[in-house]
Amino acid sequence: MATTTANPPRQTLFLRNATGLVKAWSTFDAFLYSFWSINLVTLGLYGMSFLYVIPDGQVLGGVLLTGVLVTFLVLTYAMLVSAMPRAGGDYAWQSRILGGGIGFVLAITGWWFTLWLWTPIYANILVVQFFAPLAYTLGLTNIATFFSSQVGVFVSCLIVLAFVSYVVTAGMETYARIQKFCFWLGLAGLVVMIGLLLFSSHDAFVSAFNREASSLFGATGNAYQATLDAAAKGGTKGVSFGSFGFGATLLLLPFLAFYLLWPNWGATLYGEVRGAKEYRKVFNAMFWGLWITVALVAIILLVIVKTIGWDFYSAANAAYWNSIYVAGSAAPAIPIWPYPVMFAGWLVSNHLFQALLIAVMGLWFFGWAGTLFLSSTRVIFAAAFDRVLPEFAANISSKRRVPYGALLLMIVPAILISLAWSFAPSIQTWFLWATGVIAITFLGTSIAGAILPWRRPDIFQNSPIARYKIVGIPVITITGLVSAAFLLFMLAEWSFSAIYGTQLVDVTGTKVHVSNPSTLVYFAGTYLLAIAIYVAARVIRKNQGIDLARIHREIPVE
Amino acid sequence: MRVFYATDLHGSEVCWRKFLNAAKFYNADVLICGGDMTGKAMIPIVEDGDSYELTLSGVSQRVGRDQVAEVETQVQRKGYYPVRMTSAQVAELEKDPQKVQTLFTEQMCKTVERWMQMAEDKLKDSKVRVFVAPGNDDEIEIDEVIANAPRVELAEGKTIDIGGYEMISSGWANPTPWHTYREAPEEELSKRMEPMLRDIKDMSRAIFNFHPPPYGTALDEAPALDENLKPLHGGRALRHVGSTAVREAIDKYQPILSLHGHIHEGKGITRIGKTLAINPGSAYEEGMLLASIIELDPKKGIKNYQLVNG
Repeated sequence: MATTTANPPRQTLFLRNATGLVKAWSTFDAFLYSFWSINLVTLGLYGMSFLYVIPDGQVLGGVLLTGVLVTFLVLTYAMLVSAMPRAGGDYAWQSRILGGGIGFVLAITGWWFTLWLWTPIYANILVVQFFAPLAYTLGLTNIATFFSSQVGVFVSCLIVLAFVSYVVTAGMETYARIQKFCFWLGLAGLVVMIGLLLFSSHDAFVSAFNREASSLFGATGNAYQATLDAAAKGGTKGVSFGSFGFGATLLLLPFLAFYLLWPNWGATLYGEVRGAKEYRKVFNAMFWGLWITVALVAIILLVIVKTIGWDFYSAANAAYWNSIYVAGSAAPAIPIWPYPVMFAGWLVSNHLFQALLIAVMGLWFFGWAGTLFLSSTRVIFAAAFDRVLPEFAANISSKRRVPYGALLLMIVPAILISLAWSFAPSIQTWFLWATGVIAITFLGTSIAGAILPWRRPDIFQNSPIARYKIVGIPVITITGLVSAAFLLFMLAEWSFSAIYGTQLVDVTGTKVHVSNPSTLVYFAGTYLLAIAIYVAARVIRKNQGIDLARIHREIPVE
Repeated sequence: MRVFYATDLHGSEVCWRKFLNAAKFYNADVLICGGDMTGKAMIPIVEDGDSYELTLSGVSQRVGRDQVAEVETQVQRKGYYPVRMTSAQVAELEKDPQKVQTLFTEQMCKTVERWMQMAEDKLKDSKVRVFVAPGNDDEIEIDEVIANAPRVELAEGKTIDIGGYEMISSGWANPTPWHTYREAPEEELSKRMEPMLRDIKDMSRAIFNFHPPPYGTALDEAPALDENLKPLHGGRALRHVGSTAVREAIDKYQPILSLHGHIHEGKGITRIGKTLAINPGSAYEEGMLLASIIELDPKKGIKNYQLVNG
């Protein structure tokens, strides 16, 4: 039996001049990607604006619990990266472990079809966190109201698509530079925001809120109290940060997943001659991306509680969202999404400063939004190389290096979906499932990780992760199963619970009925479409003499 | 005629075995190994009394004499060369890079020789033709070993008829930051290709087997590096690093098929005019043989093609 030794006393590896022997990539660079993917400002603040619907949930506890559970997902992904470093993520891992058909359907729905839905979500965030607050602050009310209109939302979708297309065309190197610029300036903005909330009193906030509500929106009287009253009419009253119900806290997890589920977004970074140390590097990048975000979210929550007040913050969100989604709701005192950055800026009575803070914090959006189609482009290319999609899908223009095939496959449906979002608000519940579909893809990868030691023992046994075992069980199996259980819990909540707006099936006693038929039909349709593409490709390629089943079939070694 | 093309095995014995077995597995008539078949690293297995010490994938371990052959196999699977030595020999190698180089050459030739024997054993009753064109990472010394192999044909610098198609091959590449063994400026690469290109009778039935991919395609994108060979922006920033000489040759002569490797991350298929250019990529460190299968019709050219992860 081999035994491990503590400190090798001498050189343990001799390398010669050979292509690709690069030095390890910096953990900081990988951390940045992970940190951006979660994005505590753009996605985090937006996602947390819905938490008022679970007033008994303890938000900080929920954030910490989500962090712990997502850590298992991070471990699973880090180990898969280590075992199959060049595999390229969910599509290839699932295809190799679960089979080509499952890999294609889960990856294509989670990394391609669903990102059509994310276009209007991105656009809506751009409106509420950038265009609208900036325009109102600068006194450009017409522009602000335009972006709140159906046409304005659609224009914002087009702006997002144009920006994302530019990023895909310009390439990752250009975008990485943009990201670094956005990171440092955005971080400076965040420090200013936290500082303002930390060093101001609640009374100062109430006074600033009333002042700016009047100055920017023409509100009369006590806008602060009017906001609380509007929320109370809709049933949200006296929400306390100190409330703690374990069950209710668990119910926060599916909301928090809207941003905390993505530290593994950059799991396909690669290297060569890797070992256990490389595994730790991949893990550290994602782990710290997750937990530094968790720590910053905790700080933001605490300063919101201290200065804005959790009851008021919840009330402001309730008043805003009720005015949009609940017919007959009272109008909020200010007709704008309660953006904590904007509230923090109001603590300084200077509109130019406020606008500057909103603009700087807008960099959190632009540093992140470019990733919308980057992963999709990769998956489309991989599927085209596997001959599941036509050759056209991987075409690149010879002069500008634009992947026009993949871009068209992303942009055309995204425009149609954006039109639907903008002009048919009744179908907006579809979009709430945008996180859920990616969670299904992650579930596939978690299961793939859990069964890797048995499905592909050749890969597992020769990887650095083979030595990680607990009572004889491979650690990737344990982390994969915990991740799968976590994801299944959230998928069940999204499917059967009424509070998320995503309910597909209502089970009351023995009665079962489809509560959201159009969403169910849409998503069933997308999965059926993915299956249909795969089956059609199998048949067409077979007629051409190509057996798609052999793509991932392993050649015997002996 | 079914052609099986794989490249950049980098010493992985698992991949070489799979490469040979691919003939039967995919019913291939021709096997082509596109170069860079030798390993990048050597692992000292240090004798210490009745046991041996080694570090593999960052994990240090001590094994008994009866287990040393097993760990050597593990090392070979990863594409590294296991070398039994004493701690004094390790210390000597640490001080003398020339001795390290000599030992590498010895290990490479020994391994390639064993691999050639393996081809002989596995394919002795088969009609499949096997070609190897060493790549820029392969030292010149291995050419002789391949040339002497009875069951494998050395393709470097030759024009070879395969089923009515003419294949020309070269493992030489444009300069890399690692200053490897078969590198040359672009002009020199063009000069190397010239005589082979002149030999081709019908470009519409020509196959280029050039290790570096054509510049400015999806096949030649590799992580951008800084001056310390550290990937920029977490490895996400990619740059074109292929050969302009290869690109010009394809642009000018438009062969029916162009086979490439070199850039492991550049897995893909692209069309350059009438030419179908393929880089199957490489995942040798996982023991996975990335490859392409190309079906050539005697009259109609490329009937179909597919990338596989064997």
